[in-house]
Amino acid sequence: MRREGTVFSVCCVALVFVLIAFTVVLGGIKTTTVEAAEKKVLVHALNRDGDILDTIKAAWYSDALIYLHDRLVTRDYNFQYRPGLAEKWETSEDGLVWTFHLKKGVKFHNGKPFTAEDVKWTFDTIKDPKTASPFAGDLKAIKEIKVIDDYTVQFTLNYPFPNLLFNLSNTAAGIQPANCYEEYGEDYGHKVVVGTGPFMLKEWIKGDRVVLVRNPDYNWGPDWMSNQGPPLLDELVIRAIPEENSRIMELETGGVHVLRDVPPMFVERLKNNPEINLVQGSATKLGYLAYACDKRPFDNVLVRRAINHAIDRKRIVKYIFRGNAQVAYGYLPPALKDEYLEESEQLAYKYNPEKAKSLLAEAGYPNGFEATLSADNSTISKRLAEVIQAQLAEIGIKAKIQLYDSASYKAMLKEGKQELFIRLYSWPNADILDWFLLSSQFPYPNHSRWVDKTTDEMINAAATSPTWEERAEGYKKVQRYLIEQAVWCPIYIPNNIIAVRKEVKNFKYHPWMIQYNDGIDIASR
Amino acid sequence: MLRYVIKRIFFLFPILLGMTVVVFLMLHLAPGDPIDLIVGPNVTPEIRENIRHQYGLDRPLPIQYLHFLGNLLKGDLGTSIIQHRPVAEIIIQRFPVTLELSVAGLLISFLVAIPIGVKAAIKRNTLTDYICMVTSLVGISMPTFWLGLMLLYIFAYKLRLFPVSGYGTWKHLFLPALTLGFTDAALTARMVRSSMLEVIRQDYIRTARSKGLSEKLVINRHALKNALIPIITLLGLRIGWIMGGSVVLEIVFTRPGLGRMMIEAILARDYPVVQGGMVVLTTAIILGNLFADLLYAIVDPRIKLR
Repeated sequence: MRREGTVFSVCCVALVFVLIAFTVVLGGIKTTTVEAAEKKVLVHALNRDGDILDTIKAAWYSDALIYLHDRLVTRDYNFQYRPGLAEKWETSEDGLVWTFHLKKGVKFHNGKPFTAEDVKWTFDTIKDPKTASPFAGDLKAIKEIKVIDDYTVQFTLNYPFPNLLFNLSNTAAGIQPANCYEEYGEDYGHKVVVGTGPFMLKEWIKGDRVVLVRNPDYNWGPDWMSNQGPPLLDELVIRAIPEENSRIMELETGGVHVLRDVPPMFVERLKNNPEINLVQGSATKLGYLAYACDKRPFDNVLVRRAINHAIDRKRIVKYIFRGNAQVAYGYLPPALKDEYLEESEQLAYKYNPEKAKSLLAEAGYPNGFEATLSADNSTISKRLAEVIQAQLAEIGIKAKIQLYDSASYKAMLKEGKQELFIRLYSWPNADILDWFLLSSQFPYPNHSRWVDKTTDEMINAAATSPTWEERAEGYKKVQRYLIEQAVWCPIYIPNNIIAVRKEVKNFKYHPWMIQYNDGIDIASR
Repeated sequence: MLRYVIKRIFFLFPILLGMTVVVFLMLHLAPGDPIDLIVGPNVTPEIRENIRHQYGLDRPLPIQYLHFLGNLLKGDLGTSIIQHRPVAEIIIQRFPVTLELSVAGLLISFLVAIPIGVKAAIKRNTLTDYICMVTSLVGISMPTFWLGLMLLYIFAYKLRLFPVSGYGTWKHLFLPALTLGFTDAALTARMVRSSMLEVIRQDYIRTARSKGLSEKLVINRHALKNALIPIITLLGLRIGWIMGGSVVLEIVFTRPGLGRMMIEAILARDYPVVQGGMVVLTTAIILGNLFADLLYAIVDPRIKLR
């Protein structure tokens, strides 16, 4: 009995030792990082990590970049454009010359003062074709940037372009110190990031988390914030957790404090959790059903209108999104207050299968037709595809669902194999219509294959209007025309759902970015 | 012995060559273009071509492959298209995360499997044996990710004893290592048992017993030592499996290791990273096997490696 028991117990003891060894070795690391128990650390989670922390080169912008950098222009809680690093600006009457007056006393994280040279260097570098910056195309309206003095910088444009305000407020337009590439070499964007933002880079463990610390010198926050000084948080940790379920569990167990883009199916569960608050607002996103407009039968406007009449958007919002979305009537989300066409709802095609059937008959398809219905393989898209398939079947359109991973989906759309397909865009600006619908964007990203002279003229006129107001009017005209032509079938506008744990104090909803430096606080552990 | 090691390392090259051809072809045959994932809205075709040229993606496939091979021989794994930095640097950062879990899993596995296997063999056909073997059957049949999810749900989510996700402390390592170790131990325990049973029947065990040695000594010195030889072979074969298992668990437990790196790279069609990752994983598995073979010779002097 005892004899063979020895092997067993020796191994058990060894196992215990190994576990203790792990505890000691790794626990040592732990004490140094998490030890500072008095610190106010807020953990924010995302579904992925950035590839590079450099606004000039990144193709996907990690939330960390929002807080590392400041921009010339900011957007307040009402989504209006307001001063940022530029105190004020004026535009020449023809809309071609913009003069920005910069804030004084602003310092980069490395101690260098912020001046007009940095602004010029940042945008010149983006525009340089050698940089191959993904953001370069957005700045094609800029002809030249001139430094007038240390605190004045002048942008000369190729044509009037009121949307410059948006481009300068974009995460991609973060101001970086002049010549930082020469100074830091290959480490820049990986081990070193220098901005003027409210938080500074402490460490980046790739694929896991970015740790930011408060910038104690920060006192140049925008005037619309209640706190222009340094953030109240000591550290902001941005974690990458790709699995949806893990993100939710981390939130529920307190490992994560703030989670944006909560999937609608978790809303009920989180609502019942007393430790969590849900903050919701209308997102600048639009989910729609599209079709290849240059292919039969979608080249016929009657067929396109029939499809618009066949979709019961209210049911989709109610059952797929459980009410955490709005019905979409037009081509822009209503959160874009200035540009959104108010009468979209009256003009939109109401759910009416009978009318849809008669329109199809009028178009020469009394018995409907067959088509493929493509979608990406996300949970929401799959469900959406199934419901749309059923609703289209009611008017005689037999749709066959095809699902793709995101890279294959893009490749398929580029090749032009699509018939009916589901898309969702997320963009806080009306120029998304230029991106998807100009004939110069054919065949991709103009994946609805809409090549139309009137649309081109209308969009170009709107985009190059001399003033912001005229531009907004121009885009309203575009939307009216798109509804009439039924170029897409808009379906839903998902809500922006942010889950915030109870320990987080003073959380304010912002339609685009969370403003962690504006008085958001957390009880220190 | 040295000749054997050199020969084995030499065999690494044809295996790597075959593997790179397959991975290269599969990646490039899959639809999708990395440039699409790099550039955002409103990019001119000129910039697109610029990026394509910068990464050599505009050249014909065979040329791209030869270029990759040439760089590989120089020890250069290329530059990530999406991350704008050397693939070797990315892998150096990610590999320890996978290695840490694999080693911890393997340790737990052997520390659990050997005592259970030995005990089951000695107590053959008793209740102890049945319990051990049924447990191990359950362990073998259970998919790693499922066990991982269950442990995650109970110990991290419900009891809040461990973090749900992440990496860095022993607490982060414990649940994934236990999952990996347990599923692996299930198979190893069965091997230990059958190997032990065979050894116990041998003449030299009877001799040892008849010499009047204590049962403890017989089991530990004479039986276990001999029974472990096939287990070491098994170790070699298991290294690939363990690596694969830790890759799966990196997804379940959100660990920033090689496995997740590869999945992210595949989805982004970041060709150099996928190729580099595969080269490193393949090499690690082959070297692991070699190590097991060498260990084999050390434990059993009768074995001559040629």
